[in-house]
Amino acid sequence: MSALLEVEGLTVRFGPFAVVEDLAFSVAPGEVLAVVGESGSGKSMTALALMRLIPPPGKVTGRVTFDGQDLLSLPERQMRAIRGGSMAMVFQEPMTSLNPVFTVGSQIAEALSWHRGLSGSAAKAEAVRLLSLVEIPNPAARVSEYPHQLSGGMRQRVMIAMALACNPRLLIADEPTTALDATVQAQILDLLRRLRAELGMAVILITHDLGVVSDFADRVAVMYAARVVETAPAAMLFADPAHPYTEGLLASLPRMGGDIERLHAIPGQVPPPFALPRGCRFAPRCEYAKAPCEQALPPLIPLGPARAAACIRHTGYELVP
Amino acid sequence: MSGTILEIRGLVKHFRARARFLGPEGRPVRAVDGIDLDVPAGGTLGLVGESGCGKSTTGRLALRLIEADAGTIRFEGEDIREASPARLRALRRRMQIVFQDPFASLDPRMTVAEILAEPFVVHRIGDAPERAKAVRRLLDQVGLAAHHAGRHPHEFSGGQRQRIGIARALALDPALIVADEAVSALDVSIQAQILNLMRDIQRARGLAFLFISHNLAVVRHMADRVAVMYLGKVVEEAPRQVLFDAPLHPYTRALLSAVPDPGGERRERIVLTGEIPRPDDPPSGCRFRTRCPLADAHCAAEEPPLRPRAEGHRVACHKVP
Repeated sequence: MSALLEVEGLTVRFGPFAVVEDLAFSVAPGEVLAVVGESGSGKSMTALALMRLIPPPGKVTGRVTFDGQDLLSLPERQMRAIRGGSMAMVFQEPMTSLNPVFTVGSQIAEALSWHRGLSGSAAKAEAVRLLSLVEIPNPAARVSEYPHQLSGGMRQRVMIAMALACNPRLLIADEPTTALDATVQAQILDLLRRLRAELGMAVILITHDLGVVSDFADRVAVMYAARVVETAPAAMLFADPAHPYTEGLLASLPRMGGDIERLHAIPGQVPPPFALPRGCRFAPRCEYAKAPCEQALPPLIPLGPARAAACIRHTGYELVP
Repeated sequence: MSGTILEIRGLVKHFRARARFLGPEGRPVRAVDGIDLDVPAGGTLGLVGESGCGKSTTGRLALRLIEADAGTIRFEGEDIREASPARLRALRRRMQIVFQDPFASLDPRMTVAEILAEPFVVHRIGDAPERAKAVRRLLDQVGLAAHHAGRHPHEFSGGQRQRIGIARALALDPALIVADEAVSALDVSIQAQILNLMRDIQRARGLAFLFISHNLAVVRHMADRVAVMYLGKVVEEAPRQVLFDAPLHPYTRALLSAVPDPGGERRERIVLTGEIPRPDDPPSGCRFRTRCPLADAHCAAEEPPLRPRAEGHRVACHKVP
């Protein structure tokens, strides 16, 4: 199956510092890829780079091929047709992404008129249909309400409805449930799962929450200090993590099933972009690190057909070219 | 003193809404509406619930940082609501709070040494050399180095700032710490460090925690007993193992089922319809009935009391046999 999105060597720089470095991954049609990482790992910057929304003075290099088109070299006019069209995005905080002075219906209609040329009663009818698609009760009335009249969960549903307005083939969801309570998060994840199955869209889920990943993703890319350190099918990643950082993250989580007397804490902290170690960026915190780890950045080493890890432990600490 | 360090009975706090501009006067928000809680000496009571359930208000009431409308709060047998200002100040040495956002709760203009010495200054304890010694001891206890003493809060990472917040709370050798979402802003690898630190300190000093969090896995890891709040009421309270393995209240069951377990089985989810009602307009009878799969007319007519079902297990539900 050919990929819907193919990313090669994606790098985002602010001045001399790379906040995203040499990323490579692909997303198949209908697939859910989770990009996981802690604060500052570069996961949100990755999402913005894919949408070409990196603010100046940020510089993006590499290749992003979406549906056969090279996004990074596309004129802004054409990019605007893709953004919010076949490629849509949902953010963490729906209140700041919605305009408080317009009704939710008029904000959805704006996307419909921009991308699909709908206006007037046709746009309104379509807005109502979209609100009911995201399971907002009484959509015909809600369409005339303002964002502040809705709860956090309902606002996130509106954001999803706006993203779906143009039948995207790829939805980028940046921490879509992080601001929500557990029971509401469960509702939104169920909704996304249903929509993905019904509409056949692919999803890139950006999150720090491994529980959400486990619940929703097919495949996972783990980011650490601007780089992908491991990619694997979700079940494999949780059962048998191949990178020491992934292993450490999983061991540091308190679990709902099973008791642990003492959590495994990864010592130290993530290095800032201006003080990165020369070799493997995780080496200073890694219990498996040996001298070769400090020599050079490890590349992603394939470990079977579907997984790869940037750790030279898998090559017997031999530096691979 | 038997096993309880903090005994709360019939605690009530209603916030009066200010009159709206040209509108009708708002109804009071019934943030905490008659709850009983016991924090075991040297142990941890976990307090869980979703946003707006009243758990943070309960934490502030417990230390009399805000004044309750009714009820008793006995700390080591003494009702702190009856305490004179001077007596309350003395009691506060023994009861401290750690907040979610360590940055917002640390004065940016003070050095760490000044922040940690302040409690001694306020309570007129020791002279300068003794205070300096105490500061060094506190830094050591929370895993910070002596050379950190001269730095300001902005020079620290989130995890280190939370260590400073904990050190400040420990300064006067308290018997009780209210931890209000103390690790919620931290990345998981750092969260594990802080949870381990809190447990170590608890064991070494015989500290009691009122551990408030929306994160059920974290509470499961930390608590001896757990109380679940919904719209200002405690709906279930039980020893940790019982609450997580055999919850009885339909809300607790739904809440637990909503938390995805990383790498665990995808559990059968009890999906709650709707969202938490407004706390200024709670439903009649049982407050959970509007979202409860078991609710009937009895639940609308009469509020279920929190009744013991088994040893140390209390549930507020008409439908639980």
